[in-house]
Amino acid sequence: MRFNDAIVGAVFMLLAGVMIALTFTFPPFPGQKYGPSLFPRIIAGGIILCSALLIMRGWKARREIGDPWLELAGWTREPRRVASFALMLGAMVFYLLASEPLGFIPSAFLIQLVLFLWFGVRPVTAVLVAVGMTIAVQYFFGNLMRVPLPRGILDSVL
Amino acid sequence: MTAISTAFGLVFDPYVLAVIMGSAIFGMFVGAMPGLTATMATALLVPVTFFMAPVPALGAIVTATAMAIFAGDIPAAMLRMPGTPASAAYADESYEMTKKGQLDLCMGVNLVFSVLGGIFGVLILIVLAPALAEVAINFSSFEYFWLACLGLTCAVFIGTGDPIKGLLSLFIGLAIGCIGIDPAAGQPRFTFGNVDLLSGINFIPTLIGMFAVSELLRGAVTMEKGGHIIAQAVGNLMTGVGAVFRKYWFNFLRGSVIGTVIGALPGAGADIAAWVSYAVSKKTSKEPEKFGTGHIEGIVDSTSANNSALGGAWIPALVFGIPGDSITAIVIGVLYMKGMNPGPSVFLQTPELIYAVFIIFILANLLMFPLGWAAIKSAKQILRVPRNVLLPVILIFCMVGSFAMTNSLYGIVLMVVMGVFGWLLEEHGVPVAPLILGLVLGEMLEQNFMSSMIKSDGSFIGFLNRPIAGILGVATLLLWALMIWRALPIGRRAAPAPV
Repeated sequence: MRFNDAIVGAVFMLLAGVMIALTFTFPPFPGQKYGPSLFPRIIAGGIILCSALLIMRGWKARREIGDPWLELAGWTREPRRVASFALMLGAMVFYLLASEPLGFIPSAFLIQLVLFLWFGVRPVTAVLVAVGMTIAVQYFFGNLMRVPLPRGILDSVL
Repeated sequence: MTAISTAFGLVFDPYVLAVIMGSAIFGMFVGAMPGLTATMATALLVPVTFFMAPVPALGAIVTATAMAIFAGDIPAAMLRMPGTPASAAYADESYEMTKKGQLDLCMGVNLVFSVLGGIFGVLILIVLAPALAEVAINFSSFEYFWLACLGLTCAVFIGTGDPIKGLLSLFIGLAIGCIGIDPAAGQPRFTFGNVDLLSGINFIPTLIGMFAVSELLRGAVTMEKGGHIIAQAVGNLMTGVGAVFRKYWFNFLRGSVIGTVIGALPGAGADIAAWVSYAVSKKTSKEPEKFGTGHIEGIVDSTSANNSALGGAWIPALVFGIPGDSITAIVIGVLYMKGMNPGPSVFLQTPELIYAVFIIFILANLLMFPLGWAAIKSAKQILRVPRNVLLPVILIFCMVGSFAMTNSLYGIVLMVVMGVFGWLLEEHGVPVAPLILGLVLGEMLEQNFMSSMIKSDGSFIGFLNRPIAGILGVATLLLWALMIWRALPIGRRAAPAPV
């Protein structure tokens, strides 16, 4: 997926503009001419400069060789691959939502199982690896490294 | 002498040696898997090393990266798929050799010259770093400001094919680095009242997002693409390697020197070192027509270069705190997290730590020989691990690793956001390595800039008044002028376009 350089430039120029606007809310450094707003303004200036060059280039590419506003990669026309992409991203969002109420062990197991099966791992292998890796990660990070992985519904068991 | 013996004591500790061994195997595996890079290996290691003392933490990173850069050569020869970008320069050449039935020689040469190149880079590091540190100890904020500028400019200029997008990426990184408490006045910036953002954008989840999650997103849509392993038994790897060394010892030296120098330049790492030395080898070869048909000469140059680049990259990282490539950028982030600010004072205050890094480096390169040999012998089994099992497992590691950095879901949110952002940037040809450098160096750059501004009372001439600062400053300004000249339409017609 690729937008024309002009669009990329416009987006970053807008963001840099917001950045500069926000620096006006920073209080000055007492007794100094230069405060916390100076450095971000220089950086934002740099972003604007690069963005302007990109806009010019994108505009030129569009006029001269008809570069489209948005060019979609080949896989976006294959529903299965789009679903693969969405599933990978969805797995992360699912973990964000489910890990606290469900706990690490059930959510990690579910994520792996679903992804394995979707990507065509044989069911027996999928279950075995998902169980094995979940236990291994829980033991290594949760017990050895003492990372407070959420316990969720298994709180009473662990 | 005491510092050196302390360093030996620090390294030759059963726990540290076990960590080195474990990360060596991990690095071998990640490097040998196409699509998993050495940078990704480092990014995934950092959450684990976070809980260790400095020496084992650095040992793990040094060892894993050295192994990964070598291991990338294995699938290049067997699958025509480089295991890491650093092997991409000669993947075709290696594969042609395999097709000619010279897999043994190709792997043997890759192993031996990777080890030798790696050791060469480390020796230069050992000789040069302390000497440079003695110069750097007199540096003030002016010198550091220019040095950071010069480093970041090099990163954009050398490390990227498209300077405008490289520069944009760098500025985005510096802008992201502004989030949080500002280093001079302690004023919260761009936090929108959010407590998590107050401590700044946590470096590790960002890294995992940019280097691992974006790779997972790309991997999800190319899952079924895989190479065919050439069915060729691996025999005696050492047959003929001696003859290659006698014939091409100069190529080895040249490749190692090019690799170390490119590694030491900020922003350009092992992959560019391999490309450049391969090109140099072809240009100066007596038989350039053989290149691309399975000829060993270019492989000697470039496989030495990519491993020596690792040692070279540590020179500016240890001496100035300016990373030589994206891996040392991670190392510097780790050092800051451990409360050790990299720079010349480390050489004075904790020299044993520096020596320990040197020792680990040599140890890792020596360890590469038996482990690399084992990896080549068992390559068929390693390469058979299917990607559809690997990617979901890596996803779990990414999420747990990011969570461990903040002990809250904020780490994972950051990882996902940065992962998607990094994926989008790369889809548009914007490289993410300059962004990471900007994020790491942002605070140091601003701190030195602000204190220089205050010292010189806002006069720009003050930035150039000291002799070394003046030289560095003029060099930086000239480089900027050259970049602007090239970006302008007139400059493009006069000068050849940057490759």
